Amino acid sequence: MEQNKEMTASESLALITETMNNNSKEIIRRGGKYFILWGILLTFFSLLVYALWKSTGHSYWNNLWFAMPLVGYPLARMIRSKEESAVATNVISRIISGIWTSFGVFACSLAAFTVLFTIVGDHPLAAIVVGASLTAEIVLLFGLAETISGVALRNWAIKIAGFVTGIGSLAIYYITGANEEQMFIFTLAGIVLAATGFIVKRQNS
Amino acid sequence: MFPKLDPILHSELRLAVISLLAGVESADFTYIKQQTGATAGNLSVQIDKLSAAGYITVEKGFKGKMPCTTCSLTPEGLEAFRNYIDALKEYISH
Repeated sequence: MEQNKEMTASESLALITETMNNNSKEIIRRGGKYFILWGILLTFFSLLVYALWKSTGHSYWNNLWFAMPLVGYPLARMIRSKEESAVATNVISRIISGIWTSFGVFACSLAAFTVLFTIVGDHPLAAIVVGASLTAEIVLLFGLAETISGVALRNWAIKIAGFVTGIGSLAIYYITGANEEQMFIFTLAGIVLAATGFIVKRQNS
Repeated sequence: MFPKLDPILHSELRLAVISLLAGVESADFTYIKQQTGATAGNLSVQIDKLSAAGYITVEKGFKGKMPCTTCSLTPEGLEAFRNYIDALKEYISH
């Protein structure tokens, strides 16, 4: 690109439009990588917890979920530092990042409270917290986070995927009941999340 | 009578830089270079001109051990950009 090229009014407007469109696409495309990363991790951990729960018969393998952010956040940071030496942020990327960080904080807090109240079982709040289904709560939060991401990205595929994952998984959960097979709900959610990432990347490349 | 086009913005690379910064909160030098396809030397000169005009702010810092230059659009820059687009529209509509 040269700085002294004579431009007509139409060429200037075309340059502005092209630059803004490419820039917006690039920032959204980069976000797709994180959808893929967390989708793969969610799928992996759900299958791991399922396999261990099924083989031992103990539901305490659910505590492995706490390892997911411990693995995921360093990986996300590594991707950012290695592949994105060039950085730009806009409102959309900040909103998407905020949505999923909030989801992570809420999901981990819910899980931590469930573990805590399971340990101190005689507390009056324990019956409420432990009685509620953690899987159902987290999968609903997940669906909500994905749907809002779709709204922010103006992408109908993501909006629908979020709704189907949240509400659909909840329905499956109440049909199948609370056993190790509920992990497949998270497997489905992980696959949907990774697929969302691929859609975002493809649409914006 | 057509409005006069801002000479600071009526340059291919400077216009691309301002258009890019109008869509982000901030962007570092490497990102702007990638998106515009400009050479580092050329881009650096144009960024200095935009900064001298008060259209962008340039912050020099470090990302880890690497130097990092971050640019963002100022309110004056945004106003100039809006006026420039309005002027372009007038040219096209006549």
